[in-house]
Amino acid sequence: MSAAMITVEPQASDGGSTVQVLLPPRWVDGSPTLQQVTADIARPMEGRPGKGWWICFGVAFVLLLNLVGMVGWLFAQGIGVWGLNNSVGWAFDITTFVFWVGIGHAGTLISAILMLFRQQWRTSINRSAEAMTIMAVLCAGLYPVLHLGRPWDVFFILPYVPNGRGPLWVNFRSPLVWDVFAISTYLTVSLVFWYLGMVPDLATMRDRCAPGVRKFIFRTLSLGWNGSHRTWSRYEVVSLILAGLATPLVLSVHTIVSMDFATSLLPGWHATIFPPYFVAGAIYSGFGMVLTLLVITRQTMHLERYITVRHLDSMAKVILLTGSIVGYAYATEFFSAWYSGNLYERYHFVNRATGPYAFGFYIMIVCNVLAPQLFWFKRARNNVPTLFIVSILINVGMWFERFIIIVVSLHRAFLPSSWGMFYPTIVDLGILAGTFGLFFTLFLLFIRFLPMIAMWEIKGVVGHDARRAPSTVDVSEKDEVAHV
Amino acid sequence: MTHPGNRDGAARSSDGERLVQLGTRPSHWKSMGELRGTLPKTGEFPGGLPAPASGLPAEATRRDFLSLAGFTFAAAGLAACRAPVQHAIPLPVASDQIVPGVAQYYATTCGGCPSACSLLVKQRDGRPIKIEGNGDSVLFGGGTCATGQATVLSLYDEERLHGPTWHGQPATWSEVDHHIVEALQSARAGKQRVVLLSTTLTSPSTRQLIAEWGERFPGFRHVVYDPISLSALRLANAQSFGAAVVPHYAFDRARVIVALEADFLGTWLSPVEFARQYAIARRTEAPPALHVQVEAGLSVTGSNADLRIPVAPSDLGAVAVALLGRVGRKSGVADAPSGHDPVDPAKLDAIAEELWKHRGQSLVVSGANDVALQVTVNALNALLRNIGQTVDLTRPSLQRQGDDGAVAGLVEEMNRGEVSAIFLYGVNPGYDFPDSERFLRALEKVPLSVSFADRRDETSSSVHAVCPDHHFLESWGDAEPVAAHLSLLQPVIAPLFDTRAAPESLLKWMGNETEHYAYLRDFWRTRIFPRQTEVSDFETFWDRSLQRGLVVLAPGSPTFEWTLQSDWRAAARSIVAENAQTRAARRDDRYELHLHEGVPLRDGRHANNPWLQELPDPITKVTWGNVAAMAPALARQLGLEDGDVISLKTGTREIELPVFVQPGQEGRTISAAVGYGRRQVGKAGQGVGVNVYPLTSMDRALRSYSMAGVTLTRTGRHEELAGTQTHFSMEGRPIVLETSLAELAAEAEETPEEHATLWTERPHGDHSWGMAIDLNACTGCSACVVACQAENNVPVVGKDQVQRARIMHWIRIDRYYSGPPESPVSVHQPMMCQHCDHAPCETVCPVLATSRSSEGLNQQVYNRCIGTRYCANNCPYKVRRFNWYNYTENPHFDFNMANPVGRLVLNPDVTVRSRGVMEKCSMCVQRIQGAKNLALQRGGDVADGDIQTACQQACPSGAIVFGDLQDPSSRAARLQRNRRTYRVLEELGTRPSVAYLKRVRRGEGT
Repeated sequence: MSAAMITVEPQASDGGSTVQVLLPPRWVDGSPTLQQVTADIARPMEGRPGKGWWICFGVAFVLLLNLVGMVGWLFAQGIGVWGLNNSVGWAFDITTFVFWVGIGHAGTLISAILMLFRQQWRTSINRSAEAMTIMAVLCAGLYPVLHLGRPWDVFFILPYVPNGRGPLWVNFRSPLVWDVFAISTYLTVSLVFWYLGMVPDLATMRDRCAPGVRKFIFRTLSLGWNGSHRTWSRYEVVSLILAGLATPLVLSVHTIVSMDFATSLLPGWHATIFPPYFVAGAIYSGFGMVLTLLVITRQTMHLERYITVRHLDSMAKVILLTGSIVGYAYATEFFSAWYSGNLYERYHFVNRATGPYAFGFYIMIVCNVLAPQLFWFKRARNNVPTLFIVSILINVGMWFERFIIIVVSLHRAFLPSSWGMFYPTIVDLGILAGTFGLFFTLFLLFIRFLPMIAMWEIKGVVGHDARRAPSTVDVSEKDEVAHV
Repeated sequence: MTHPGNRDGAARSSDGERLVQLGTRPSHWKSMGELRGTLPKTGEFPGGLPAPASGLPAEATRRDFLSLAGFTFAAAGLAACRAPVQHAIPLPVASDQIVPGVAQYYATTCGGCPSACSLLVKQRDGRPIKIEGNGDSVLFGGGTCATGQATVLSLYDEERLHGPTWHGQPATWSEVDHHIVEALQSARAGKQRVVLLSTTLTSPSTRQLIAEWGERFPGFRHVVYDPISLSALRLANAQSFGAAVVPHYAFDRARVIVALEADFLGTWLSPVEFARQYAIARRTEAPPALHVQVEAGLSVTGSNADLRIPVAPSDLGAVAVALLGRVGRKSGVADAPSGHDPVDPAKLDAIAEELWKHRGQSLVVSGANDVALQVTVNALNALLRNIGQTVDLTRPSLQRQGDDGAVAGLVEEMNRGEVSAIFLYGVNPGYDFPDSERFLRALEKVPLSVSFADRRDETSSSVHAVCPDHHFLESWGDAEPVAAHLSLLQPVIAPLFDTRAAPESLLKWMGNETEHYAYLRDFWRTRIFPRQTEVSDFETFWDRSLQRGLVVLAPGSPTFEWTLQSDWRAAARSIVAENAQTRAARRDDRYELHLHEGVPLRDGRHANNPWLQELPDPITKVTWGNVAAMAPALARQLGLEDGDVISLKTGTREIELPVFVQPGQEGRTISAAVGYGRRQVGKAGQGVGVNVYPLTSMDRALRSYSMAGVTLTRTGRHEELAGTQTHFSMEGRPIVLETSLAELAAEAEETPEEHATLWTERPHGDHSWGMAIDLNACTGCSACVVACQAENNVPVVGKDQVQRARIMHWIRIDRYYSGPPESPVSVHQPMMCQHCDHAPCETVCPVLATSRSSEGLNQQVYNRCIGTRYCANNCPYKVRRFNWYNYTENPHFDFNMANPVGRLVLNPDVTVRSRGVMEKCSMCVQRIQGAKNLALQRGGDVADGDIQTACQQACPSGAIVFGDLQDPSSRAARLQRNRRTYRVLEELGTRPSVAYLKRVRRGEGT
């Protein structure tokens, strides 16, 4: 964090000593006024979207339509349309599921943990990161339904649904049931957190809108926010509580997802390192995705002032850290396989590096372990194209990581007689692409219709000049109400 | 009973015909006529029958229902077939033994191939649904083979002819009879040639009938044609011993078995019987028999041998001569022949030594259709004093009677236009004759050609009249597979289609109006009954024979006095000379070809049976097609891989086959299975694989299945093979364990290793069902696979799905190789759900769709399953099978389950699974439940042996034993305490209920 140091020249009466004052870092460039901040952030919502937005949206929407078609075909025919088989029972479905769940983690981490640690640089990115979380979890949440043989019976997995089938309970020993709890909790908490965090901004938007449908919607959504001191103080408390609630989720959700594998007995899945390894991987991939999205939005929406290179630099550092943890976990897996002396474990890891899916393994190593090592260098961290390319590589690498874990473990398990291969079909690929369509469609709608940067939070970090500015609409509003 | 396959309530039929419907529910129906809505004309129903269903209003009245139900149950009364009644009996007057929903078992004889195994057929509500072996059979035990198991599906093959045809058009029986009788009368008057070309007929009554034809028609001749012929064996026995017979072999009495290109455990002569004998010979209580297999391609038998020597077909005779020379010298015979040793002489010395050591207790057999070679083998057996010990010429086998010379002569005669009428019975030379076009052209010159084929096949589509024979499950009959071992056939269902038993047709055409059933009974009264002394009253004898299904007569003829004629030296010399010639003619770019029967399709007659098409070959594990098996070194040298299509050329004939790299294959020989590439057989088998029969040849009036000087070219095409197993090495994992005799003797009673567990012991109820599988007995014949498929309604998924590794078989046979690829050691391991005490599948299922029963079964609850497939992922044995699509009633999977006739084979006790659910071996829980119900009614408990799983029942070598592990005296429990017992992957702590007994290897004796 590039906290600026300024030296305050001592007054004569102070006895000649020099006092160093640590000023808060400046997370917004160019000291805009608070009014300008509001105007800047509200601009995408109030104006017409540019060509860039339309192109992105068009592509994403076509992919979304493709998802609808593919899923229709899947439901009509059965999951035989995927490339799965007797040996490989999960492949693109669970790979992509874990991938999207992992992506979601960055949002929670940024909004909850970084909030608790009072990391101010999060203010520019937390809103979109949280939105990304929700959209990623929605994409992930598709798969548990899609991958079922009988998706129409998905409610069997919910505990105690009055289903007329007698006292049938779920199997509490099954990690898939824990998944249901974990993911649904995660989605709920993330939604609440995201929405509550948006309420003051929705109120701002309400106030800026001309009467009409938009105003009505914003009025409804802003829950009668009045900006009073009491409201603000309660709001802060709720935020803190929610952050506290969400914090364990950062660790728990992917821990539980990792248990889908760790509690099984398959070589390559059955490993105690999985929970921390998966959590680190999730944060890693989530930051990768946040970076990708922010680089795109700050360019297309001209928000360079609010999403500065310093933000990107901070994220690159987190990526470097989590990427190194992931790399370390890879090495540990190999070490434990060798050290265990277990025939099956050893074979699995030899097969990972030399078998028919070795290409995926090397993609994973290059993207996840080697690529982020660039971020040891400040020049790389501050170079937007480099950041963008590395963030894409991380997304690719993390998808392959899950693919390697799932498919390579399954395709050559205990009995060589049942060894086989998985080859994706057009539907496998189509649905994978389709979830990206869903994700980006939702995200593009989000940046078009909701404030993608938390106005009220960023105003806290715009810097001294702005804070000292005599009056802005927002501040006066706040003060005014406070005096009532 | 609602048809289990019909879930959506609207019954459909593939060709658009409406089924009989009651409201919107599918109705009960028991016959084809009813299914199609064309009820047969019958006089048995006073008061007439309801109007044909096509006129039935959509809302059927109660009266309609009762009428139809009446007919349905009347049809169900066919269960009474064991009584000597020729018509369906309405259930109200039927025997009180018939309870709807309770299975009946009837003894009959298998018509799947001429081996004529004794069967018990399970019949439920009027339909035969499962073939079981007849445990009373002295010859076959209770075992069956894959083909036998699958014959029940062939019964329900919709492609069977639905009635006689005349010149390709449907006709009535009286029309066809009229034409044929007319032609026969003129033939009789003109003393013209009338020929019956039949496959081997093991039926003594039909043979009698044919003899009567001979008396009636002066120009009559009976020619026996087997596509896989043992003609040379009979000729050689005539030369050597003066008896043109196929001997009856006793592998169980042999201490040393040497088989030269005879796959006696898979396809040769009488595999079920031999597998049973072999299991006895290989029991580990005494030192197991030594088995040496000399062959070109790896066969099921070869994969079980202690010593397997890959030898090119052209060198096979030289091996026999080399052995004969050595044995001859040992026995002090003057001028014992000698020649070039095509294989390591030390090995031959050792084999000869073992043979000589066990003279009188050894057996040399050969499947080669070569008289000189068979004479040499005869000499070997004679010098080893095996004749009368392991080779029985007095009560010979009657299972292969084909006479290649006569067939060749017949074709010439036909070509010359000397044959005025030909009757084709159980043969299809238009497909399997070496020069089938020539046969078909000759057939055109015959003024009257009649076929008894059950379908339009390559031959019957070119004949004047097709008079479809009953399926054997619809017919009366008898069989005598081995002299004095007789068995009976009885119908277990009224004929589904308008067919007529071939003997009945023959009777009719010779002017004998006796019904076939009466003829058969009369034959037994006059010919068989007097040959026995146990029963004095024929009725009792008949009833008893019918009920047991078989009769063993005392040896009637005096013991055959054999002497070895001395021309075996000449035969040996001719082999040596010929071998020298072939060796001289060998060239680097010329290969040898060896054609053989494969276990799944055998000679090809059952090619339209999807169960058999989808049965993995026990060695290659390839389904839906045949391959050109090639040695790994040769494939590497030629740069070929699995699936690369090559073209094989012999003389003028050329075929294209995909390569399969086969460890153990002789270096320069390509092996291919016959029976594939049917042009006309039905939708399942048509065009699957390649017909290699055209490459066989007629050589000196003998059919030859191997040839040298074959050229091989690559076509550049690639065909993906549908293999069910693609990795053949165990990778050093302890999966199939082996032990040696020495080890077994040295080891003290081993205390089984206790694996620590964190789990609490699971409570058990009254039983703990479990299994013991003896890997030393399992030959890999795959009868269990089809038996399981039949018992448990396992769907057929087709080639594409097998290529995608989605085969549904609940039991599979894993086959692994070890050792060098030129001469690998093979092991077979039946693998099914291990019913673990601590099952990894159970803990991971989110909805508890799979759970452990109090009796130790791992149960799959289809209704609860949502198809996460987590259980299959976590199953270390990979035995769970997922319904990727709706494999039933789906036009894309147009096999028996998508067909209203084919669905009749379904076992009503087993749920037909829908799309999206997991399934797996249930240890035949329906059989367990049935036996428990019976025991409950009897007031006792289930006794050991009351329950046999389908796989166990089918196994000819008794490798699978099921039982209650809580009963320490049960066979399964005792076997599980055997010193050879281990459990697969038990170090994982899964605690399987299935235990395996290690394979025993005879050390490095030879």
